[in-house]
Amino acid sequence: MPASSAPVETLDYRHSPLPVREGLAASQRRAWARLAEPGEWWPAAVRIAIAEETRAATACAFCAERKAALSPYSVSGRHTAATDLPDVLVDTVHRIRTDPERLTRRFCDAALAGGLSDAEYAETVAVVATVVAVDTFCDAMGLPRHALPEPVAGEPRRRRPAGAKPGLAWIATVAPEDVTEGEAGLYDGLAAVNIHRALSLVPAEVVGFFDLDAEHYLPDALLRDFGTEYRALTHAQIEFLAARVSAINQCVY
Amino acid sequence: MLLRGSGEHTGENYDLTAIVDDGGSGGGVAAAGALTAYADAFFDDGQDFAAARERLHAEIGDEALVDAAGVLAIFNAVVRIADATGIPLEDQKAGMSADFRDALGINDYPAAAGKV
Repeated sequence: MPASSAPVETLDYRHSPLPVREGLAASQRRAWARLAEPGEWWPAAVRIAIAEETRAATACAFCAERKAALSPYSVSGRHTAATDLPDVLVDTVHRIRTDPERLTRRFCDAALAGGLSDAEYAETVAVVATVVAVDTFCDAMGLPRHALPEPVAGEPRRRRPAGAKPGLAWIATVAPEDVTEGEAGLYDGLAAVNIHRALSLVPAEVVGFFDLDAEHYLPDALLRDFGTEYRALTHAQIEFLAARVSAINQCVY
Repeated sequence: MLLRGSGEHTGENYDLTAIVDDGGSGGGVAAAGALTAYADAFFDDGQDFAAARERLHAEIGDEALVDAAGVLAIFNAVVRIADATGIPLEDQKAGMSADFRDALGINDYPAAAGKV
């Protein structure tokens, strides 16, 4: 199950004052190409709309008010939406983008009760995470963000992994021993630890996101190869920065 | 845990409390003060992020700054996957990191409820 390699001509760093590794840029082009294609559960137009909402959330007044509140459930209001996506989907995207550390099972259950399937929820999380990764890179480099790609026509594939089971997370996941022929290659190159399993209800998103991860961070197989430095940052610097970012986001994983 | 593993390999005894240290002491990691300032300023609109980026650039150079932007970017995304799915920390990792998770206050994060 290789990551998509469809070309996206609009994403490059030719005008960056600092040279961006080609492997890193190429992984972002693959991510953008994947974003533009029909997903497992969402048509491409919905995936791009989710991407637009991911960007719009940071300017949403209701999100700002809720973020400042002692409890996210103590305020009510309407999001400043950028699209005509259903309210439940807009709320899901905005909360994941702006207030992730206070997400609870109650939040996930409410999204599912509001009409999203667990697999649609997983694909939504994946799209938000993909856009956050690429946008954050541009912001962190002091570069303009890339234009979102145009959606590609086509229908979602709608294949649910036969081995997906509830229990590990708020949504069903696929354990390594439950991978079937339909999602063969799901964990290739990955240790299949819990973070890899989180979105396994939509196998293509696991493959795609961790393709991006391998170029921005390190491939799984190299994480503990402390005797060799693979980046201009050392292992220790990479892990220190990663831990600091996780701490700022109050992420426990 | 990988920071601890890296230190064990190189013989460095990194001070893990530097991860959450407001002063950005660095704990023995090279350029940690500038890395801390870079990350902190990125997430704080009240700070001068361009200045923090320039400081880091001056300390680590072109290629390493690009790497730093990549790490910051992907972890800003990964945390959302973890938080939005309620994926728990593996028992083994929770056990191995129990000492410093408590010392660093990680177990007090809102997202910690039911995950470790």
